Amino acid sequence: MQKDILKKLLLRTQHRSRLWAALAALCTGTTLLLTSVLIWWNFNELLYGKNQNDALGSTYLIIGKKVTQQSMAIPGATRFSAQEISELSTAPQVQEVGIIGTNHFPVYATLGGELAFATDMPLECVPDKFIDNLPADWKWEPGNPTVPIIVSSQFLDIYNYVFAPSQGLPQLSESSVKLIVLNLTVGSAPNTEKFMARVVGFSGRIGSVLVPKSFIDYGNQKFGTPQASGAVSQLILKTADPSDTKFADYLKQHNYNTNTENLRWSKIRSIVEVVTSATGVLALLLMGIGTLVFILFIELTIARAQQSLTLLLQIGYGPQFVSRFMINRFLPMVIATVVVAMLLAIAGQAFVATTVTSQGLVLPYMPGWPVWVAMLISTMVLVLLVGRSISTAIKKQ
Amino acid sequence: MQLSLQGIIPVPLREKVNAYQSGIWKNNLSFRKGEYIFIQAPSGTGKTTLIHILYGLRKDFEGIVKWNENILNSTDKETLAKLRTNNISVIFQDMRLFPELTTWENLEIKRLLTNTVTEQQVSEWLERLGIKDKKNSLGSTLSYGEQQRVAIIRALLQPFDWLLMDEPFSHLDHANIDKARALILEVVRKNNAGMILADLDENSHFPYTQTIIL
Repeated sequence: MQKDILKKLLLRTQHRSRLWAALAALCTGTTLLLTSVLIWWNFNELLYGKNQNDALGSTYLIIGKKVTQQSMAIPGATRFSAQEISELSTAPQVQEVGIIGTNHFPVYATLGGELAFATDMPLECVPDKFIDNLPADWKWEPGNPTVPIIVSSQFLDIYNYVFAPSQGLPQLSESSVKLIVLNLTVGSAPNTEKFMARVVGFSGRIGSVLVPKSFIDYGNQKFGTPQASGAVSQLILKTADPSDTKFADYLKQHNYNTNTENLRWSKIRSIVEVVTSATGVLALLLMGIGTLVFILFIELTIARAQQSLTLLLQIGYGPQFVSRFMINRFLPMVIATVVVAMLLAIAGQAFVATTVTSQGLVLPYMPGWPVWVAMLISTMVLVLLVGRSISTAIKKQ
Repeated sequence: MQLSLQGIIPVPLREKVNAYQSGIWKNNLSFRKGEYIFIQAPSGTGKTTLIHILYGLRKDFEGIVKWNENILNSTDKETLAKLRTNNISVIFQDMRLFPELTTWENLEIKRLLTNTVTEQQVSEWLERLGIKDKKNSLGSTLSYGEQQRVAIIRALLQPFDWLLMDEPFSHLDHANIDKARALILEVVRKNNAGMILADLDENSHFPYTQTIIL
């Protein structure tokens, strides 16, 4: 009864259309705000989420120094110094740095039989932890006649899809390649040593031929040129997020070169960042306008009820009591707009999650905590602003 | 609850007040709960101003008004609201009903603040003052006499230590004055309250303990 009478006194003259316009602006603003957080969060989820989204590319990168006209004239200009390597390990997003060792001695590989070929062969080695699918027999000690090698899976692709058809040669499966034994002649005459090499695995991460580090070390020591020993010109990096623009900037700043394809996400990321921040700014603007219109509506309602309000205070009603009544009346509207915005965000997320499945990506069906936090913060700010404007307007009476 | 006045001078009446000897203005007075004070005030001497100052509606005065320890000049709005709910009630000269509410709603909005008087009692009081048939009439449609009776009942729908009255019977005939007077006295006694009645002419509506010329 008391509430009914208070409603009659204080909320009698309401312009419904203005109220709806204010609420619509508020709802749109909140929805946009949640959407921008949602876009940002989904992108992060694709990159760091627990779900495997391999389609987004490897987090391993091989970098080297860019070969330029100037660097060509200076021997060793593209080598990494120990300081540069230690600096890299603290660079943004870099988790681990591995040195790629190379052979500083001649290696000549030959193969007899139907597939006969002979070639000079560059070899590389990386620390074991950087190898995907480390084969069980991946070790070599001096004295072992057989050297295990890992070949880039691209080599096999090139052979099977480009070379073999053009030469009329049979295509080879991975397991059949593993049966082939290559003859390696290491060193230059007369100081040479012969080994057998067997393919024990394939790597999609490294684009060359890998041998165990012990073999490179052995060869470099025994047959290598002394001035080249210890030179590092390529590094392998394990990165948390190669698409981070800070990481891309770091590489660019230091003139480091990498497979740009691996950084393609950094471009998409900057686009996403622009879109998110633009949506965010627009959302804040809309929310600001919505809140302003809503608060003005409340103030207008209070101003129109000024006479009744004054008399209410005169007969013993406290400003706090009246403020609470007004807040109880208007806050549910604010909360309802936020709830509607959140429901839209939840529906949006479910839609996005369903859509990306067809592209081999996995996203959660419910918005993650940043979206909920954004909702909570915007609710708190709105509640605070509306509550304060009501108490201020009533205290003025 | 004790009321103390110390050197009160309403700012708009300063010159006028300085020109004559008033029983209230500029004096130091104190009234104890249970006293029935009649303030006789010729027109223009600030009768309504005094009631409004005592009720905390006006702050444009010099001096100090104290309800117990509450100095009205510096009391915040919440404390004032509590005083008006539990300790001081008023019958305004201009009644001050909500024109958009019915008689019943005008009373309910006050009654529900403290819920110390029952609905049934309110109905009885309406009957006693002869306005029960106006229960559902809007405040704006009531005559002055009817409005005055509603305002009287409204002032009695709360616990109070003091009842302030500003020409409470100005629109009533003798028969209705008697009924209203009896009701007021009954409720004032029940509350062990005091009263301050300001009016133009001498009267014997209540057994006054003190009469002061304003």
